[in-house]
Amino acid sequence: MAKRPQPRFPEPHTEPFWEGAKQGELRYQRCAACEGVVFYPRQHCPACGADELEWLVSKGEGTVYTFSVVRQNRMPGFIDLGAYSVAYVDLDEGFRMMSGVIGVENPTTDIAIGQRVRVEFEEQEEGEYPIPLFRPIG
Amino acid sequence: MTPAADADATAPRYLRDRYAIVGVGETTYTRGSNLSTRALGTWAVKNAMEDAGIPAAELDGMMSYSNNDSTPSPMIAGDLGLRLNFYMDVYGGGSSSEALVGLAMGAIEAGMCNAVAIFRSMNGYSQVRIGGTGARARAPVAGDALHTTPYGWFSAGQNFSPSFMRHMYDYGTTPEQLAMVKVIHSEHASNNPKAYYRQRVTVDDVLNSRMIVKPLRLLDCCVETDNATALIVTRAERAGDYRHRSPRVLGVAGRVCKPRSDMHFQHGPISTVAGRYIRDIIWPNAGVGPEDIDLTGAYDAFTFTTMLQLEDYGFCAKGEGGDYVSSGVMRLGGERPNNTSGGHLCEGYTHGMNMIIENVRQLRGEVDDSCPLDGRGHRLHTYDYSEGGCRQVRDANVSMNLGWAMPGTGSSLVMRRG
Repeated sequence: MAKRPQPRFPEPHTEPFWEGAKQGELRYQRCAACEGVVFYPRQHCPACGADELEWLVSKGEGTVYTFSVVRQNRMPGFIDLGAYSVAYVDLDEGFRMMSGVIGVENPTTDIAIGQRVRVEFEEQEEGEYPIPLFRPIG
Repeated sequence: MTPAADADATAPRYLRDRYAIVGVGETTYTRGSNLSTRALGTWAVKNAMEDAGIPAAELDGMMSYSNNDSTPSPMIAGDLGLRLNFYMDVYGGGSSSEALVGLAMGAIEAGMCNAVAIFRSMNGYSQVRIGGTGARARAPVAGDALHTTPYGWFSAGQNFSPSFMRHMYDYGTTPEQLAMVKVIHSEHASNNPKAYYRQRVTVDDVLNSRMIVKPLRLLDCCVETDNATALIVTRAERAGDYRHRSPRVLGVAGRVCKPRSDMHFQHGPISTVAGRYIRDIIWPNAGVGPEDIDLTGAYDAFTFTTMLQLEDYGFCAKGEGGDYVSSGVMRLGGERPNNTSGGHLCEGYTHGMNMIIENVRQLRGEVDDSCPLDGRGHRLHTYDYSEGGCRQVRDANVSMNLGWAMPGTGSSLVMRRG
């Protein structure tokens, strides 16, 4: 089981995102004033400055915009992973999220820009918050 | 709107030509300095003072930048017997040095002091390594780190690589093209007795080195070293009091950001970097364009950072950076040499300052290569750029430094021969 770092709370503006992860929901925000999509969670809409942001749940499907593959990382939580990817995923609802692509045999050769992916919530060995990562569809 | 949008590019505005860099100095570039950053910083500033021939009584300002891995100005000033009228130590790494030259000019212009020494001191190998271990590894997972740390995004290479991958995807840029940045900088370093890595490498050497963070191989990444670097800024009219024919500052742009600097990658295209915005400030302020630049110092934390910047500043068309860096333009003897010291890939890592120092020496015509000295201590440059030879650029009149902090933030400094 993975040992990725856990969020540390209190964290007023992002806690609902992580609570969503616990329930298997990929949550994002939308501005009540300008209807702009907001991600990563925050207090104010960066487009219009309004502070009424509502929470929505993404279907969790998107496209790999770009990625890289870290061949090794000696930090706690990553040392056992071996090669792992960092990917920016364009969710169908219109926001781009940093995450990673899992579920491929060889991250260095098996991930591509433009790949369709779906979120899944990876349980961690320590801590109650799963980490949202993406797996290729089909 | 950019600050220069209302400027008349033909008029000497924004302090163009009014300031000079009158002294430069550094420590050796090493691994395992066995010295404190205080001692290193003092050594570098002292060398810059001796280079300028500026007495302690005339140096009354000091600035530095660090990632909390250095020693503040008051300590260095104390060790050098300076009494300061102004100092400022700021947080920052790459792209700080160009920005601080501009801030030093502002401090002098405001009457706060007369001359400013700017230094960067770091034990970048033996203490705080930029490559992802040390202090960064211990940072708590809270606040902004919540959207990066769980995904394993820490070091500079991990941070920048998604931009590099997208550039390759959008424009067909190849690892072979990028390898040429390292090849060329290694050629330059072989003519720089100070450089940490002086051995020339080939494209195959780069491509055969192990993958670190896709698409970066080991030799696409800069060296980590222990060292300090320093330069001294003062008014152009005082430059004649000091030892050298000192280069003048034509223009400076500092810490210019892409939209949404908090998460620039959310607002594509990601393969565009801050240079796209810097160019709208620096060219009008400096009163020159890419065609006027004789040599560049495009930050080479990685081979890719050099290319992305040169492209977005307009030295070639967007998407043609791979061709530009592999064409030989950047070679000594080429049309516009880049990082003639060997830069961060080969000379040593000091967050950009050593590339300004190199360009100052180039504009003086006094690059410290292995060419013989005349009776007055001036180099008799041969312009033979073969291994171990000359690295002075012929007729170096205007230089540009392209400082990189991250894909979304950068700085620039344009200088001319004094």
